[in-house]
Amino acid sequence: MSTVVDTPFLDIAGLTKRYAGVTALDGVDLSVNAGEIHILIGENGAGKSTLVKCLAGIERPDAGEMTLAGAPHRPAGAAGALRAGIQVVHQELALLPALTVAENLFLQRMPRRLGLVDRGGMRRRARELLGQVGLEVSPDTPVERLGIAQMQLIEIAKALSVDCRLLVMDEPTATLTPRETATLFTQLRRLTANGVAIIYISHHLEEIFEIGDRLTVLRNGQRVHTGPVAGLTTAELVRMMVGRDLNAEYPPVTARPVGEQLLRVTDLRVTAGAPPVSLSVRSGEVVGVAGLVGSGRTETMRAIFGADRPAGGSVEVRGRAVRIAHPRDAVRHGISFLTEDRKAQGLVLDLSIAANISLASIDRVSRLGLLRHAVENAAARELSSRLHVRATGPHQTVRALSGGNQQKVVLARWLAADTDLLIVDEPTRGIDVGARYEIHQLLLTLADSGKGVLVVSSDLPELLGICDRIVVFSKGRIAGEIARPEFDAERVLNLAYSGYLKNGISA
Amino acid sequence: MNRRVTLAAIVTVAAVIPLAACGQENTGNAASTKPTGKPTVCLVMKSLANEYFQQMQKGAVDHVAQLGNVTLDSSGTQNETDVDGQVALVEKCITKQVQAIVLAPADSKALVQSVAKAVKAGLKVVNIDVKLDDAALKQAGVDAPFVGPDNREGAKLSGLELAKALGKGAKVAILEGNPGADNALQRKNGFNDAVAQGGLQLLDSKTGHWETDEAHTVFGNMLTAHPDIQGVLASNDSMALGIIKVIEERKANIKVASFDNITAVKQYLQSGVMVSTLDQYGSQQAANGIDYALKMINGEQVTGWQKTPVKVITKDNVG
Amino acid sequence: MISISVARGNPRTSRAVSQVLGEAGIGVALVALALFFLAFAPHFGTAQNVRDILTQITLNTILAVGMTFVILVGGIDLSVGSVIALCAVVAGTAMKGGGSASIPAAVLLSLLIGAATGLVNGFVTERWRVPSFIVTLGMLYVARGAAEQYTGAATIYSLPAALTGFGTTTLVGLPAVFAVALLMAAVAWFVLSRTVFGRLVYATGNNEEAVRLSGHRTGVIKVVCFVIGGACVGVAAIIYMARLGVASPILGQGYELNAIAAVVIGGASLSGGRGSVIGTLLGACLLGVLTNGLLLMGVSDFQRTIVTGAVIIVAVVLDAYRKRLSIRLSATS
Repeated sequence: MSTVVDTPFLDIAGLTKRYAGVTALDGVDLSVNAGEIHILIGENGAGKSTLVKCLAGIERPDAGEMTLAGAPHRPAGAAGALRAGIQVVHQELALLPALTVAENLFLQRMPRRLGLVDRGGMRRRARELLGQVGLEVSPDTPVERLGIAQMQLIEIAKALSVDCRLLVMDEPTATLTPRETATLFTQLRRLTANGVAIIYISHHLEEIFEIGDRLTVLRNGQRVHTGPVAGLTTAELVRMMVGRDLNAEYPPVTARPVGEQLLRVTDLRVTAGAPPVSLSVRSGEVVGVAGLVGSGRTETMRAIFGADRPAGGSVEVRGRAVRIAHPRDAVRHGISFLTEDRKAQGLVLDLSIAANISLASIDRVSRLGLLRHAVENAAARELSSRLHVRATGPHQTVRALSGGNQQKVVLARWLAADTDLLIVDEPTRGIDVGARYEIHQLLLTLADSGKGVLVVSSDLPELLGICDRIVVFSKGRIAGEIARPEFDAERVLNLAYSGYLKNGISA
Repeated sequence: MNRRVTLAAIVTVAAVIPLAACGQENTGNAASTKPTGKPTVCLVMKSLANEYFQQMQKGAVDHVAQLGNVTLDSSGTQNETDVDGQVALVEKCITKQVQAIVLAPADSKALVQSVAKAVKAGLKVVNIDVKLDDAALKQAGVDAPFVGPDNREGAKLSGLELAKALGKGAKVAILEGNPGADNALQRKNGFNDAVAQGGLQLLDSKTGHWETDEAHTVFGNMLTAHPDIQGVLASNDSMALGIIKVIEERKANIKVASFDNITAVKQYLQSGVMVSTLDQYGSQQAANGIDYALKMINGEQVTGWQKTPVKVITKDNVG
Repeated sequence: MISISVARGNPRTSRAVSQVLGEAGIGVALVALALFFLAFAPHFGTAQNVRDILTQITLNTILAVGMTFVILVGGIDLSVGSVIALCAVVAGTAMKGGGSASIPAAVLLSLLIGAATGLVNGFVTERWRVPSFIVTLGMLYVARGAAEQYTGAATIYSLPAALTGFGTTTLVGLPAVFAVALLMAAVAWFVLSRTVFGRLVYATGNNEEAVRLSGHRTGVIKVVCFVIGGACVGVAAIIYMARLGVASPILGQGYELNAIAAVVIGGASLSGGRGSVIGTLLGACLLGVLTNGLLLMGVSDFQRTIVTGAVIIVAVVLDAYRKRLSIRLSATS
């Protein structure tokens, strides 16, 4: 039903962007026509957000050309992209909470009369825009009083308020109800009818089939497919997103004897309204936790560890019911937790390697509250060499280390604590291939020695490569569990998306 | 009074701790007009949370009780800089149609308009504590007599005692109060008068910010730089305590003249290290103001500065 | 594979260099300042004057040592100037006119009041997640008001002769009160560099969340730092009375800023996690030497105030420059 005009409005050729050794975009081509809704799809980290950032002038590409309506598009900053007629609705909300709805909507261009803000006119225009996205709130409401979905709609209304030529929407419907989504789609079709080009990023496969004209699949920073949406099946789509060679990238998996139950979580609720989650880990097991970002994986792990207080549920360690209200309790019960954000939540950047390593096991390197520096340094040296930390010595501050070595230091901290169960969240994100292999090997060695390991990762091949079974989260609940003999990337992805579909999909 | 006002202080004072109830009133006999035929005098003070004004008010209440022929209506503001609150208090007195107002202004200029209003309404106004600005009074076309001690004269009297004790040509130093404070300046000038008149030789003059510890540090270093100092003129007794400590530590033969007469210096007057201090009867200032107000109610013309008595305290009269 | 013991460059030298730049940077400034005054300020180098300087920096040293703990965990204590007055008037009243037997109880009282205000500051800050700047600002008023209320604004005197005698005693040439300050600094240095608690103080100031997720109660650590800071104020109150023989409810105004200045000049970061007792000690010395030297030179009050402020700014700027340099050094090592 869309009016597809065959003149490429946006043309991207060979777009490349590297971050400190990681290639986020690798010669990507993309063309979007005026009046078209072009879907951009791919796994977490496939390069979608980087592409949007280049387009919006937030990042500067290392190579490649962007052409907008026949003219070269080289935005010097976000303002330049705005001037070129590109509006982006980012995943992260960019509203000013203390200001009213109307003020947020017109922040960039306040309606003026005689040099003063025309409040009456502003309110009138705001009501129109709110009507367009089907949001029934007063323009004078401070934004901080709104719910997250309503804020999302304000962001969308903000983008609609400008006469743009290219609209980019990055997961706009993550928090919206079906009714709100339907209203949004009506508005998008109104825009395309006026010749606006739209790039639409979403994990909701059903939505893609409903709204998309054409789609482009990204994988590992490369374009793997561009074509019409019509005629594709979800199964094909998933295969294109995942299809990756998994051989030799991971240490060999050997059969391990599975021992007693280390951890059993029953009906854990992250927040009062969240669905109950139950899972268990046995001694000698490596259990993967898969799911999309925001599907409740990290939140569940934090609740188990006591980093956040859960709203309900029970935890058993080695068959005994325990109460974990603080990370201190978790460590005492033999649970450790490697956080996904190592700089903000893991490392003490200005302290030495030795101090970082001993942080969770400080009782072992002290007596009567006094530090035994010699013991501490010896322990740090031993673990550093076991993990191949490249550093000048245990006194070096961790700030000076590379990402991979920093991650090894945090891992070393938990090895020093010698807990029975290790929860690792994104253990290899942003880490080079060599260090990645070493960390995988270490996790397997731990399991060999009878520890339990829970691995949260957005990197599906990683989970498939090292886990004994994978628990898949979708929209806050556990959508399913797959054991190694049945491992199949498509099955995992289908489960991961299942919570976001109304009828489920057939793989 | 000599508090170092920090930026932060300004931001929060009022909100953090209501030190005193707003517009405290102490109307033993809440009479506005005169049911008993006695005149009513309004005493408008600054913060009653401040010990100094608390004492002053107590002196006034005692005095009025002794007189018996006048009704006192006294009130104070929430803090020392609450100009608006004080303006409201003055206006309340005008509305009540009292006969006279005795005012310790929170601001020497900002209260002039209220004073003019009171005078035009036929009230007698007596100014105590801080003198209202002369130029502002002139501009408003009113006159309100100021009843209070002469800090400069007092400092001179105390300083002359030191000159008498040390003799002509003796080498002395001055410890000043907070730079910028009016009474600090007056006392410093008075000491300088004494230096000139007594033929003393002034070696150094520095601030000790009214404070014992700082005076100890500043005078200690002064003495190192000028080991021949024979006498010190301290702008208040708190600083004199720090100076005397240095004298004791160095076992030096140095005499001190001071100002305020707090009880802590009594022992030093007796021992002789302090030759003099000055009592300006701060607690009597409001009572003095009431006396002048009564004179004016009785038709007497009072203008300009009515100096209240001060007394030099020495070993002989410290008691 | 490069193992940990095989390092590139010469780490020992560059570590030594960055350490020298770290704590001794301020020491170099101190020596330069002292040399300047030796040349231009009469009597500066005499034994008597050195003793004077040590006596004069005693209070600020004790307060700054306590403040170091608070600043290391990212807090600030603006209430010390008022709390020292409160401690002094209460303990002073307890000793007034008494003999030496009344001293121990008064010392204990002073320590308890100081520690209790620290506990309130720390607890309120942690429990309700309020900036310590605001909480201690409130305490600044509460303690000052309480001190005024308690004494009726009168100065307390007639303290035990044993106490005031201690204020003027010297131990092997050092003023005894300064020896107390030095002892406290030594204990603080030991606690911060040799104990588990000290390690957790630095770590918490650096990255509280990481420490919490490693199984430590960071809230408790922070509150304890405020309590230590408060107890130091209690000690300072006793030293004040020993030296000056009086206690007045208006004493101590502005002391908090002097203490903060000493800590910051000593290389501490106001956002926490960085600083040292040695640096603080040197910072307090620098301020004391500056005041002493300028007074000996006969510089006027106003100029002295200006120069002191300028030196604080210069010291902090130099420190920031020094830090960038040492980070570069450690990164290239």
